[in-house]
Amino acid sequence: MNPTETNVPLSRSWKDIPQQVKPRAMSSGGRRRMRFGLAKTVGAIALLGLLAWGGVSLAVVLQQGPKRVPGQAEAAPIRDIVLATDGAINREWVVRTLGLPKNATLISLDLYQLRARLLASGQVLSASLTRNFPATLTVSLTERLPVARLMAQLGTEPPHLLLAARDGVVFEGIGYDESTTAALPWLEGVQLTRKDGVLQPIPGMATVADLLSKGRIEAEHLYRTWQVVSLARLATDGEIEVKTAEVPRIIFGTRESFFPQLARLDLLLDTVRAQSAAPFKEINLAIGATVPVAFDGLTAAAPATAGKSSSAKSSSPRSTNVQFKTKL
Amino acid sequence: MSNRPTFIAAVEIGTSKVTVFVGEYNGRELAIIGHGECTSRGVIKGSVVDYKAASECTHSALEQAERDAGERIDCVFLAQTGAHLEGFYNEAAVNVKAADNMIDRNDIRMVSDLAKSKELPAGRAVVHHIRRPFRVDGRLVPSAPENLVGQKLEVGYWTVHGQEQRIADNIHVIRGFNLEVRDLVLSSLASGHMVTMPEERQHGVLAIDLGAGTTDFALYRDGVAHTTGVVPVGGAHFTNDLSIGLRLTENQAEKLKLRFGRANVQCRDKNDKVWLDGNFAIGDRQFSRLAIEQITAARARELLEVVKKKLGGAFTPETCAAGVVLTGGTAKLAGLAETAAQVFGVPARLGETPSWVAENLRDPGSNTALGLLYWGLSGQNERQAPARRSGGLLSGFKRLFASS
Repeated sequence: MNPTETNVPLSRSWKDIPQQVKPRAMSSGGRRRMRFGLAKTVGAIALLGLLAWGGVSLAVVLQQGPKRVPGQAEAAPIRDIVLATDGAINREWVVRTLGLPKNATLISLDLYQLRARLLASGQVLSASLTRNFPATLTVSLTERLPVARLMAQLGTEPPHLLLAARDGVVFEGIGYDESTTAALPWLEGVQLTRKDGVLQPIPGMATVADLLSKGRIEAEHLYRTWQVVSLARLATDGEIEVKTAEVPRIIFGTRESFFPQLARLDLLLDTVRAQSAAPFKEINLAIGATVPVAFDGLTAAAPATAGKSSSAKSSSPRSTNVQFKTKL
Repeated sequence: MSNRPTFIAAVEIGTSKVTVFVGEYNGRELAIIGHGECTSRGVIKGSVVDYKAASECTHSALEQAERDAGERIDCVFLAQTGAHLEGFYNEAAVNVKAADNMIDRNDIRMVSDLAKSKELPAGRAVVHHIRRPFRVDGRLVPSAPENLVGQKLEVGYWTVHGQEQRIADNIHVIRGFNLEVRDLVLSSLASGHMVTMPEERQHGVLAIDLGAGTTDFALYRDGVAHTTGVVPVGGAHFTNDLSIGLRLTENQAEKLKLRFGRANVQCRDKNDKVWLDGNFAIGDRQFSRLAIEQITAARARELLEVVKKKLGGAFTPETCAAGVVLTGGTAKLAGLAETAAQVFGVPARLGETPSWVAENLRDPGSNTALGLLYWGLSGQNERQAPARRSGGLLSGFKRLFASS
């Protein structure tokens, strides 16, 4: 026995009275406090558990080497380039354009520079490059769609095929097969200019693209026959000339919507074909509802009954001019 | 160690009201930051008789205090009163063991344990052991007698004990709010410490706390509580006497008591009448002021005489030089100090809350709850830092009240 202790029995104190009460003896406030206390305890335990788990995870990572993951990514050469595009560009062109050095790693890539290389081709509207660790580079492209084609001789190079997009940007068609490009009309009367070594967009191409798309959508049977689209008089007279297999010269005006002009053309061609087999020389749709039509080598009277009303104006031994009035 | 302060509630479950004060204690200073009060129900003469009703009002006061403080209470200091509380004095003496007669800690512990070892009847539990000064060979030693030289060491304890079930009821009311009762403090000691000065307690002073259902008293001598007691009579009995004597409802009697009641008769005119309500409405009637004063004065004198009788030989005018100090809600009865002076034969005064207590807290009815914090933190402070210099807590306490 400890000599400092006494064996005197102490009386029962109020502190010996058990303080615990049953929950049913508690008020709502008391039960609320009890639940709050319980929630606090559970929260504290959960927090401690989370901290412990985090600590263990960190310890494991540190044990395995903190630079393991980035180090591995830095060390592994790029194994694959994945291309995602909405156009015709193929993976080979991307690989060739990016020109990644052999054994290049994802970390060592200058993505901004690579993106600039892709955008140097006018066909690429936008490009994004993503590192997918450990060894994959993902290239996402948005491409310009061609609306027409042209043959251009740049400098001393031999003439070669170029495609023109709706915004006037000219580019070499990458990945397009011949049948696709062959369906596009040729552009004529275009003078390409360079600035800082880069071909500048064709002015007024948006208007031409509008005509072409209207023709393709609204009068596909006409559009199929369009061979050459000339922009020679677009800037000066606001006129676009189209050469088709049947009509050497169809003139569209830019002051009026293309839709009624196409409708007039369709009606006119149907009417004339029904009445005459004379070859066309020119159809001018740019002056409104009255459409002058020139026939090649027609000496007989003009097909005055074509259309709702018509009247022959004059004729010559080599060609005849007829005006068609259309109501559309 | 955490710097989070402890939020302590001082709770007094009285017969007329439940008072709660919330103190923020940071280990050095205490600031009163919340107050809640609720009309008491289910409590008669300081004892819980209706657990549900008492719980509801106590919890309401606690919630109010928490809202006022904006903090959650951590623990509670609970005031204890009631007629079941009794006290007795027991002393013990030991011969100093050391050959050189130098008193060591073992001697002090031994004599203290012996003095506290009196067996209690079944169902009783100790509330307080209040130590009186040590005596070394008959010589009074106010502080610990360690390292003093003497052959015989004596000490006495005033032990306050109460009925275990009644105490448990009070504790369970607090536990019903999911709060721990950290300390249980006798109401008379709590209020006594608030209204008396250390010098008065040194010279001898009697503090009487007149509540609604009970009257608690503590007689101080040599700086410590010498005798304590509870009389199960309070202001509610004054009201009851008026109600019976004048044939009034309790509410009407309470109203008359507060307006015209006196602890001594001053009215000499039998025809001096007072109105019950004073609004001349139907049911308003007149009463003799003399009758009211006679009823309340008789009850007041009787109550004080009962207190004097319970003190017995412990109280003599010679050993109570600082007189009588009255506190509690019923102490606001006019003329009570004069009557107390006549009954006890010593100067009597109404207890004043110390000046460092904020103005809005200075109410005789709040002294017990305020004293609870003071008493409870004194004890807590002793437990945590025994070597703390005296007066440190008091100065801190003053600062907190000044700032509240």
